[in-house]
Amino acid sequence: MAATSARPGMPESESESAHPELGAPTTGPPKAAPAGRTTASQLAGWALVLGLLVICLLAPKLFIPSFLRTLSAVFMFATLAQAWNIIGGFTGYPSFGNVVFFGLGGYTIAVLMARSHWSFWPALVVAVVLGAAYAMLIGIPTLRLKGHYFAIATLGVAEGTREIVLNVPKVTGGGAGITVPAVGPSATTSYPGNTGFLYYFLALLVVAMLAVYAIARSRFGFALRAINQDEDAAAAAGINTTRMKIAAFMVSGAITAAAGSIYAFQQVSIYPDRLFSVDITVLMVIMAVIGGSGTVIGPLVGGVGLQFLSEYLRQNFTDYHTFIFGAIIIVAVVLLPEGAVRFASETVRQRRLPIMDNLRRYRL
Amino acid sequence: MTPFLQATVYGLLQGGLLALVAVGFSLVWGVMNVVNLAHGALAITGAYFSWQLHESLGLDPVLSLVVVLPVMFMVGYVIQRGLINLVVNAPIWMTLLLTFGLEALIVNGLLLAFTGDFRSTRTGYSTNTLALGGVRIPYARLIAFGLSLLLTVALVLFIRNTKMGLAIRATGMDRTAARLMGMNVRHVYAVTFGTATALAAAAGSMIGLVGTFTPVVAGGYTLQSFVIAVLGGLGNMWGALAGGLVLGLATAWGALYLSGTLVNAIAFGILVLVLIVRPSGLLGKPYYEARAEA
Repeated sequence: MAATSARPGMPESESESAHPELGAPTTGPPKAAPAGRTTASQLAGWALVLGLLVICLLAPKLFIPSFLRTLSAVFMFATLAQAWNIIGGFTGYPSFGNVVFFGLGGYTIAVLMARSHWSFWPALVVAVVLGAAYAMLIGIPTLRLKGHYFAIATLGVAEGTREIVLNVPKVTGGGAGITVPAVGPSATTSYPGNTGFLYYFLALLVVAMLAVYAIARSRFGFALRAINQDEDAAAAAGINTTRMKIAAFMVSGAITAAAGSIYAFQQVSIYPDRLFSVDITVLMVIMAVIGGSGTVIGPLVGGVGLQFLSEYLRQNFTDYHTFIFGAIIIVAVVLLPEGAVRFASETVRQRRLPIMDNLRRYRL
Repeated sequence: MTPFLQATVYGLLQGGLLALVAVGFSLVWGVMNVVNLAHGALAITGAYFSWQLHESLGLDPVLSLVVVLPVMFMVGYVIQRGLINLVVNAPIWMTLLLTFGLEALIVNGLLLAFTGDFRSTRTGYSTNTLALGGVRIPYARLIAFGLSLLLTVALVLFIRNTKMGLAIRATGMDRTAARLMGMNVRHVYAVTFGTATALAAAAGSMIGLVGTFTPVVAGGYTLQSFVIAVLGGLGNMWGALAGGLVLGLATAWGALYLSGTLVNAIAFGILVLVLIVRPSGLLGKPYYEARAEA
């Protein structure tokens, strides 16, 4: 779809030398940047999206409850991958601490509903605002760092935040966790059940997809890609890089916090170790990258594909599933570093399977 | 006063051991710009290796290094040559993902092979302690500390005084120039990673000697390696030693005066602070920042 022309994620210096035509991306008129023409394949794409949406909306009538839960998880992880895509894929700042917004959102919901007896929807609004605010707070110092340093600083922030949550048991329940009042007289909002959460997560996924679609076609998204390719050149071309980076991080944080909020309500009982798990961050990154980071549909493809795969492995190879999953990650990173979406479009364009091309591009 | 002294001594001894865990991590990061998330898993692999040798052959953990070091060097060499070299030029999160996949593979492989039970290499001198003016020091801790210092110094001498060490430094500074000088960069990278793996495995053997381990703790050692490498400056061996001692002391004192559960928060607080204020570490500057090309 959009963004196949820009290839975010190239090493900083190589994007200058190997792709001189991308070296100064800010010189062109911004409106002409992403593909603006409507082609038959785009129409087919939209038809496919609509068809899938209808199936998802009818899912409660079509599938058994356990599959609905799987589907909710699929939607949630696709949303998380898409949120990561904004800061990691488009802007090129690989946050390894995005789970902090997930945990923050979840704990906001749990604390407000359990301790202050709020109902779900106003608490959700607070959680989203807090997610964005926290992204700004940690983004101001950490977004000055680049590459590994940014990745590890955000990882440190996430782990540190978990420790803090763990150490204020009066508010958060500490390591024992906190329980959202979901049933009985203390419940502030009635528990929506499998079908309800499926729709919540689906709605959030649609919001995230539309947000990224809009960003990808906007001046804002153009600025983010420019920052990704060459931050100095972007700044020289008049982009306020600091403000753009923080804005991208805030959008990412807000969407992630919303996902965490719904997740906390769905799980009822939440624990710091689960809600701030590094594994969730890594899953976001992997799904976005394997699908195609910096593209609009890549994270959706990666999220849906990997979560179904993970669920399948969990059910059929219970003991070995993490082992196999690790092996799949390794193979996918080596063979699909540009993501499935770009791989597919290259295959169509060149009429051959360009498996070895990626390998040749990045090996020593 | 005695609890403070005890905590200080313990912190320093633990810090020396952590430095040995982290020194290879720092070397790999500094020379190749690869953050090896599987580093802790490789250290724990060394711990199991040593433990298994002790269980089946009765080999002392210190003596077993004669086997562990070369074998784990080969393992590291093959991992770099066959796997990580394939994505060295990819965007940085690719190597992070690749090594995370490797970590999942190793940790779960160990879980399947050895279960998640806590293990410990029990030797004849495990329970003996040295009493020094009210401070009790287990002999095993002293041995682990001494060995850690020895291996770190050996690494510094290797990097400084051998031809291969020079090649590693040169490759870390400017890969293209190193290639033009006729160096086989693939081999140099693999030797670097193999050395790091061997040292991590040696540290793992010592971890088994002084305490308990299970595959699940691997991630914790990787995170501590992060903190130490950043504190010390990437690729700086003495820096890793200093960073290890600082982290060991901070952790020990933190556990003494604050809640034990806040210790990690302190470590990460230090990490984030150092990253923001002084990303080049407490000592020296990282190789990779000084590179002419990237």
